[in-house]
Amino acid sequence: MLRSAFITLGAGLLALGSAQATGLASCESGPQSGWKPKEELTKMLEAKGWKVRMIKPDGGCYEVYALDEKGERVEAYFHPVTLDPVPIAKK
Amino acid sequence: MIKVWDPVVRVLHWSLVALFVVAWQSPLRSDLVHEWSGYACLMIVTARVLWGMWGGPHARFSAFLRSPSATARYVRALAGGRAPRYAGHNPLGGWMIVALLATMAVVCVTGWMFTTDRFWGVAWVRTTHDLGTDILLGLIAVHIFGNAAMSILHRENLIAAMWHGRKRAGGI
Repeated sequence: MLRSAFITLGAGLLALGSAQATGLASCESGPQSGWKPKEELTKMLEAKGWKVRMIKPDGGCYEVYALDEKGERVEAYFHPVTLDPVPIAKK
Repeated sequence: MIKVWDPVVRVLHWSLVALFVVAWQSPLRSDLVHEWSGYACLMIVTARVLWGMWGGPHARFSAFLRSPSATARYVRALAGGRAPRYAGHNPLGGWMIVALLATMAVVCVTGWMFTTDRFWGVAWVRTTHDLGTDILLGLIAVHIFGNAAMSILHRENLIAAMWHGRKRAGGI
């Protein structure tokens, strides 16, 4: 009884805690094989004066962590096929 | 019944539980809530470490941290069904406190780092924060299980004891 309670508790906590899509944005972007490479997005943003720290897929979009041209911290989403910015709700 | 857990231990314990739940559930809802509940968790961890050095008798690390060999002996006794009852933390519980506080500190500090220009968006900081959180959730599950199991074994309610501070007299 204790053992199954423990397993349920552990599995429940892990399921709640694991990082899945954040739901902050979603993009209809098809399979990742059709996406433009991260490097292209990095280049595009660096041309604007951004310092790109990390790009990862989230909800079918590219999620970018960067410092923008003013040195402000930004978390921004881009469509991985068109590289257009995707608006997100303010947290 | 004797007084075991002093008010500082109990208030820090349950406020850490509450604030951790808030911090854990808030990252996608509100940055403000997530960050401030995280800072509060870090303050509680710091306070608990200080209380562990200069606080009440059962709160001190020196009162409940046993050597690896003593801890191994306790584990063997536990496996053999003859684990002695401790008034304060048993040796496994003692090390669990250290693991929980240390992991919580790592998660809090890496979270704070993510709010600085220097470490914002740096992958290893994010990975450490996320992985640390998963480890912390695992430790919490084991912590709850351990307390439930020891409550049954020694026929006492350890969770209630952390609430009101009193336990049955006796034990090591």
